[in-house]
Amino acid sequence: MKAWPRELSVGLALAALLAALAAFAPGFFAPQPLLSLAAREAPVLLVACGAAMVIVCRQIDISSGSQFAVVSVVAGLLAAEGWPPAAVATAALALGTALGALNGFLVAGLGLPSIVVTLATMVTWREGLRWWRQGAFVNLPDGLQWLGLGQTAGQWTLLATALALLTLLALAARHLAAGRHLYAVGSDAEAARLAGIRPGAVTFGAFTAAGALTALAALMNVIQSPQVDPKSGTGLELKAIAAVVVGGVAIAGGRGRLAGVLLGLLLLATVGPALTHLRIEAHWEKAIQGAIILLAVAAEGARRRPA
Amino acid sequence: MGRAARPRDPPSLPLMIKPALSLLLCGLVFLAGCGRAPEAARDAGGGGKRLTVALLPKSKGNAYFISCRAGAEKAARALGVELLFDGPTDTDPAKQNEIIENWITLGVDVIAAACENREGISTALRKAQARGIKVITYDADALPDARAFFVNQATPEGIGHTLMDEAARLTNAEGEFAVILSTLTASNMQEWLKHIRARLAEKYPKMKLVAVRPCDDQKDKAQAEATTLMSAHPNLRLLMNICSPAVPGAAEAVKQAGKAGQVKVIGLGLPNENRRYVKDGVTDSVILWKTEDLGALTVEAAVALARGALQPGATTFRTAAGASYEVKGDQILLGQPFIFNRANIDQFNF
Repeated sequence: MKAWPRELSVGLALAALLAALAAFAPGFFAPQPLLSLAAREAPVLLVACGAAMVIVCRQIDISSGSQFAVVSVVAGLLAAEGWPPAAVATAALALGTALGALNGFLVAGLGLPSIVVTLATMVTWREGLRWWRQGAFVNLPDGLQWLGLGQTAGQWTLLATALALLTLLALAARHLAAGRHLYAVGSDAEAARLAGIRPGAVTFGAFTAAGALTALAALMNVIQSPQVDPKSGTGLELKAIAAVVVGGVAIAGGRGRLAGVLLGLLLLATVGPALTHLRIEAHWEKAIQGAIILLAVAAEGARRRPA
Repeated sequence: MGRAARPRDPPSLPLMIKPALSLLLCGLVFLAGCGRAPEAARDAGGGGKRLTVALLPKSKGNAYFISCRAGAEKAARALGVELLFDGPTDTDPAKQNEIIENWITLGVDVIAAACENREGISTALRKAQARGIKVITYDADALPDARAFFVNQATPEGIGHTLMDEAARLTNAEGEFAVILSTLTASNMQEWLKHIRARLAEKYPKMKLVAVRPCDDQKDKAQAEATTLMSAHPNLRLLMNICSPAVPGAAEAVKQAGKAGQVKVIGLGLPNENRRYVKDGVTDSVILWKTEDLGALTVEAAVALARGALQPGATTFRTAAGASYEVKGDQILLGQPFIFNRANIDQFNF
């Protein structure tokens, strides 16, 4: 009971919301639109996993939305140039990994604060993209959408990929040394160092992995439509961090589970569509999401104080 | 006014060269095939010196302004004036001011500016006016005292009414529709929505606006919003998208839901971003103004202002080509927005 309090409360909130929808707007559960919405959130889940790793490590990355946009546009342009999908994916993953590694180097290598570093990279990538592309959409070649799988199979594939990766990462966090080091460094970097862990390497690894996950997320988003919007990913970093915090990952590092992140994302992502289905004005969406985040942070504070 | 000191007048140019230049230019204009050689000759030869109009876009690489430029160049050729076109590579208010300073030094006759920063650019434009340069704005206005006229491409009322009328036309003025906008707080969105609602209340009693949803100016979010709107409102007949990324976003959602034709898609946007959906019959109408016409009208107005044909207080503006535009206060109105659809979209590339 005590081991899963946050996941339980988030799960209950989600269940209550779904029950309200089942009672008052059963149309929400129509399979086709629901699958479409879930497929659209699959990339967000991966970005949130990256954010969780960075936050567990007691750092923060607010540049993931900009990384997402840069990778999306570059992948789109390469595909439009006629690169085969596998080559596009490789290049995109390499680019995302490099962008993440740059953050990691600046934070772990030079010892700069991650909020400042990733604020700088966030603005630089976003503005650089604006300067370079002038806001123009990238038209993708025919046949790239759903990688030729067709819409329904494509959407299921995206969903399955995201959930499989989440499971793998959750298992790695528990059972691999690298995963446990992440928590150790996030709890107490000095103690971790004395225990023979290299905090710098772990931090660098977390940012790099987050970059790679963001790149994969970007690819999973790009293949869902025939055009790339260079503004895509704006605000994505906040959505991801919100899911992480609501999911019970301690913002001060060292604690939290990816299962919670999944629940946090599901809860936050359901609010908007739920309001539309319940015929409630859109004004309330951000207010409700804000209240959920506030509750989560307050619960976190209450949990830390008595100890 | 310091007109005599302006370095634009080329005093060192031998007098004989001017007629020769005029002839050459006539020849060029004639070769360009626009068929207005006689007029150009009159302007260039009779007036003695060619008028220079400097056109400032928000950013010069943007397809929207490139298309404005094309119209401006046509008008400049027809009027026999010289057109300079320069702007920031990116939307950069400081760079805009720099370019205006350069044009003041160069001594152009008219500056026509699309302003990135309303307040920021006004100081530079006032300085230009003080040096005897005529100033007008187009696309996005400066402060009123920093320019003589603003060429207004579309009034909020014109946009709201065109959208609502088009929605009514496509649905036979019956049934539910929803609006997707950029954000609930953006002032232009609120202004357009106000006119949409007013037109709806006034003319279309059988239509019902069931939801207004924001997409944060992102195509992907608009797609998710449209998906949810269609499932929450199964009788939805039309999605009206009043920010440009929402139009292709909503179209993709309609296509993925297999509801093309059943749920109509219209909106404010650029032809290039919507071309494939318009051609596929998913998106019915994309509403904007003809950017070439905006560029042309701007140059026409700039030249008329410099030649004294356009004075403050005018209520109509008649172009040299004979077209007539309404002038409201100090704004020259381009007129009703233009509707791009399957029949005409291939004529436009921006």
